[in-house]
Amino acid sequence: MLEEYKQKYTKPVIQYSVLEPNGLVLESDNGLFENFEKKNISDIHPFFETIIPILGESIEKETIFSCVHLNIESKEIISDIILQTFKNNKKPLLVIQDLTTHYNNYQTTAQVRNESVINSQILELKNTYLKEKEAFKNTFIANFSHELRDPLTGILTFSNILSKTKLDPKQKDYIQILNSTSSFLKKMIDDILDISKIESGKLDLSIEPFNFKKLLDEIKFNYTIKAKQKGLEFNYNYDHKLPEVIGGDAKRLRQVITNLLDNAIKFTHNGSVTFNVSLNQIRAQKASIHFEIIDTGIGIKEENFEDIFTSFNQVNKNESYKGTGLGLAIVKYLVELTNSKIKVVSNYGKGSTFSTNINFISNPSLKVTKEIDATKVVFNPSKKYNILLVEDSEIIQLSVLKILATRGQFFLDIVSKPEEVLTRMVDYDNEVDLVLMDIKLKEHRGDEIARQIRKLPEPHQRKVPIIAMTAKVFKEDLKLYKKAGINEVLKKPFDENQLLEIIAKHLE
Amino acid sequence: MKISKKIVLLGHFGVGKSSLIRRFVENTFSENYKVTIGVHIFKKNVEIPEKDTDVSLVIWDLEGNDDINNTRLSYLIGTNAFIYVYDVTRPATYENLQAEIDFLKEKQKNTPIKVVGNKNDLVTKAFLKENNDNFGRLTDLYVSAKTGNQVDFLFSKLAESLL
Repeated sequence: MLEEYKQKYTKPVIQYSVLEPNGLVLESDNGLFENFEKKNISDIHPFFETIIPILGESIEKETIFSCVHLNIESKEIISDIILQTFKNNKKPLLVIQDLTTHYNNYQTTAQVRNESVINSQILELKNTYLKEKEAFKNTFIANFSHELRDPLTGILTFSNILSKTKLDPKQKDYIQILNSTSSFLKKMIDDILDISKIESGKLDLSIEPFNFKKLLDEIKFNYTIKAKQKGLEFNYNYDHKLPEVIGGDAKRLRQVITNLLDNAIKFTHNGSVTFNVSLNQIRAQKASIHFEIIDTGIGIKEENFEDIFTSFNQVNKNESYKGTGLGLAIVKYLVELTNSKIKVVSNYGKGSTFSTNINFISNPSLKVTKEIDATKVVFNPSKKYNILLVEDSEIIQLSVLKILATRGQFFLDIVSKPEEVLTRMVDYDNEVDLVLMDIKLKEHRGDEIARQIRKLPEPHQRKVPIIAMTAKVFKEDLKLYKKAGINEVLKKPFDENQLLEIIAKHLE
Repeated sequence: MKISKKIVLLGHFGVGKSSLIRRFVENTFSENYKVTIGVHIFKKNVEIPEKDTDVSLVIWDLEGNDDINNTRLSYLIGTNAFIYVYDVTRPATYENLQAEIDFLKEKQKNTPIKVVGNKNDLVTKAFLKENNDNFGRLTDLYVSAKTGNQVDFLFSKLAESLL
């Protein structure tokens, strides 16, 4: 019975063939393929063509070829092939073992494994490529905006100086246009630099006490004028329960609010812009403050709610709405840095409301450092100060010269090479009181020169206040300047007030 | 005159060895990736009119390996020439190029090796130039199984060189 079943159900998986050394098949059991006999093995499949030389070897040797795909007479198998040669001219033996099922299972596993490895390699490459592209973009933006800063400082300084001269009403109008367009340009450059900092993860918030009420009052003052210029009503609602002094990043808070207000005014042609600030709660020395900006402008379609916060994206393509499309992207990022969210509700064609809740430190002991009003800065009238300007840009040289000349209390020396700086520093007859140092000089770096100043032998020489003037103010740049002994950084483009303020602070 | 030569294609998995052979033998290409296990053997005649010869190329398409040391050595027996293929877009496939070539030279002394960068349709000439130190200096030919670029040239020149 068993023999009967075996004969009926056993499927042959092996074929044995005896060959001549030249490949002619002498005998075959037709286990897998028929019609092998009397044929030359090399005519049956190209695989065998390449094993003919082995058949002629008259030595006792077993050669195994694993996992060979054979396609013979329309039958496809995956097999292990064993070739056995013998001594004494005994005929070689060819064994073909069908292992198709086994190898197909292996193929499935290999397919999954290889695809997964390849996909992860491709993903890694894409990531590297994106990172390189991002780094290139950020470096390009940083360099490009840096190059714009010197001429912009010149425009800001000289339009300011010009506005203080005797002008007829028409000329005053022209100056005003010059001021507002250069301020707009400055804001765009600042936005582009901010977004490059944001996208490279280099923007952090500082926490310092500041006069919150004063900041809001200034914003209210400026935007009442801006709204009025566009024929809009500006409403400001301030919650009197709000603390006057809070701890947080005043500069970035101002940026969030002004970006939202600028956006509201830009897209509103009739009606009003309302700015509400209220206290949610104060708990555990933290004040949660609600900010809300409501406009009666053109509104946003719901499907565009996410897009408006994407950098370089302006949902409204109308060319009359100028800008870089960065304002709201910066707002979103800054708000998220405070672990909060910006919310938008809009009725297309009727207006929008942007709101957020931001936490600040609220502690009765918080005190604001006294701010210097540069316009009221009074330097010691009995003294004239020696300022050394290390700068190779003629525009900046002239700007600083003009600003300091208005005060009549400064002697200004201008140099641009390290050896000139050091020679000037050791001039005992005219001790330098303060150094204004450009960082990116044509052939040298300002921070390197600062290091050399800090190594001078005389204490009054090496301890001179050094103010860096630069547009490169990334976190790692600031660390580098500090390490080089630079006292403070004046960011380009700067105006008269900023320059005098920083000089006054370090000459005190 | 008709002669037969065994050509073995090796390299990492997914570099396009099977695609190159399919392009050469059948003039087809598929975007689908099917892993080769073991070895597939193909045959194609190449006419060399200048020498009035037909070369029958028996082409062994070996399973890809990320380490050439794992290659089954029996596959290499009687090889007349190797084509070592890598993928110009995947550094993992050419990171150890020199070591892989050295392995072949050691196992099959005096057997010619052609080093081929596949998928050149996916990169620019500038990219290839930039990568001269990575793979360029060791490469004989850049090809594309997808477009067919330089594939026939690769096999026919190799066949001719074996005469």
